[in-house]
Amino acid sequence: MKTFEEKWTAWLDGQLSGRELIEFQSSLPDLAAAEAEKRDAHKLGAFLKKEAGSHALTNEEFFSHQLRERIAAETRTQSRGGLRSTWWTVPRLVWSGATALALFVVCAFVIMTQQQPGEQSEYLTQILKTQVDPGANPNATISIFESKNDNKVTVLWTEGLQTLPADYAAK
Amino acid sequence: MQTEATPGQADVSELDLVKRCQAGDSGAFDQLVTRYRTRVFAMIYNMVHNEQDAWDLAQDSFVKAWKSIGRFRGKSSFYTWIYRIVMNVTIDWLRKRQIKAGGAEFDDSIQLKEIEPSSKTVPKADPLPHQRMERSEVRARIDKAIAQLSPEHRAVILMKEIEEMQYHEIAESLGCSIGTVMSRLFYARKKLQSTLRDIYENV
Repeated sequence: MKTFEEKWTAWLDGQLSGRELIEFQSSLPDLAAAEAEKRDAHKLGAFLKKEAGSHALTNEEFFSHQLRERIAAETRTQSRGGLRSTWWTVPRLVWSGATALALFVVCAFVIMTQQQPGEQSEYLTQILKTQVDPGANPNATISIFESKNDNKVTVLWTEGLQTLPADYAAK
Repeated sequence: MQTEATPGQADVSELDLVKRCQAGDSGAFDQLVTRYRTRVFAMIYNMVHNEQDAWDLAQDSFVKAWKSIGRFRGKSSFYTWIYRIVMNVTIDWLRKRQIKAGGAEFDDSIQLKEIEPSSKTVPKADPLPHQRMERSEVRARIDKAIAQLSPEHRAVILMKEIEEMQYHEIAESLGCSIGTVMSRLFYARKKLQSTLRDIYENV
């Protein structure tokens, strides 16, 4: 949907035709005044073309000569700069970044898989190795929680334990 | 020396010249510059109203065009493409300088009288002193009126009225829609009609 300004401009420049032209002209409150303004705008256009369209480039050859020198200088600078930084083109920077990232991921994976879990405390080891006698403690459950961040903290949760195994001894 | 070409005339070998430029032939670029330098300069001059600035901006525009000619795909005409560069360079410059309405640094119209005799655009007969003075005054009034427009409105009215470009060409050159071009044209005309009516009605 064209705005009024767009329609007016198109009408003024003779770009409206057919039904669009009829519709626009009938929408104008004063067609005669609009026609007068149209003529006025054409006068303005002709005036601008005549008065402002003739500013000459007074030294055309010197303009081209100066431009040739500038382009030659720019090309020299570019090629010198290019020699210095040829390797670090954008695609190469992207490839370098991707390679470095892949290398980091592989190293991190290898290190993580090779890393042994921290040694359990002697106390914990004892408990873990202890079997609860199902005859003496039929419903006993023993849960051991060990803090992952600090191996020194271990929580032993026992439920239904009536007797400790006779051979249990914490050292 | 080659004459300035209209877009239609330029189409024949323009693509060939562009291809040669893209292959690094600066001679071909020189030919394109010869075709468009006067129009580009005049366009920029009408935007900035200062001969030295117009010269520098035209140079900058052509250098930028040379640097980016490899990216020209021929989807539009070369002339629309170069105008886009010219408009970007000039509008950026105007914004940076924050030239306000009537804020041109000096009246450059006096230099109109100093066109070199060897120039191909020299008038065939020198106007009389009073005619030159009148013309300078008219030119100064036009410059002042155009300077009151925003860079975008200036560009649109100059491309339409002086360059006689089509809406779609102006839109391509300015990177905006045809509707925006028409809307800007509407307001630019209204403004210039109100500020210059007393002159153009009497010319």
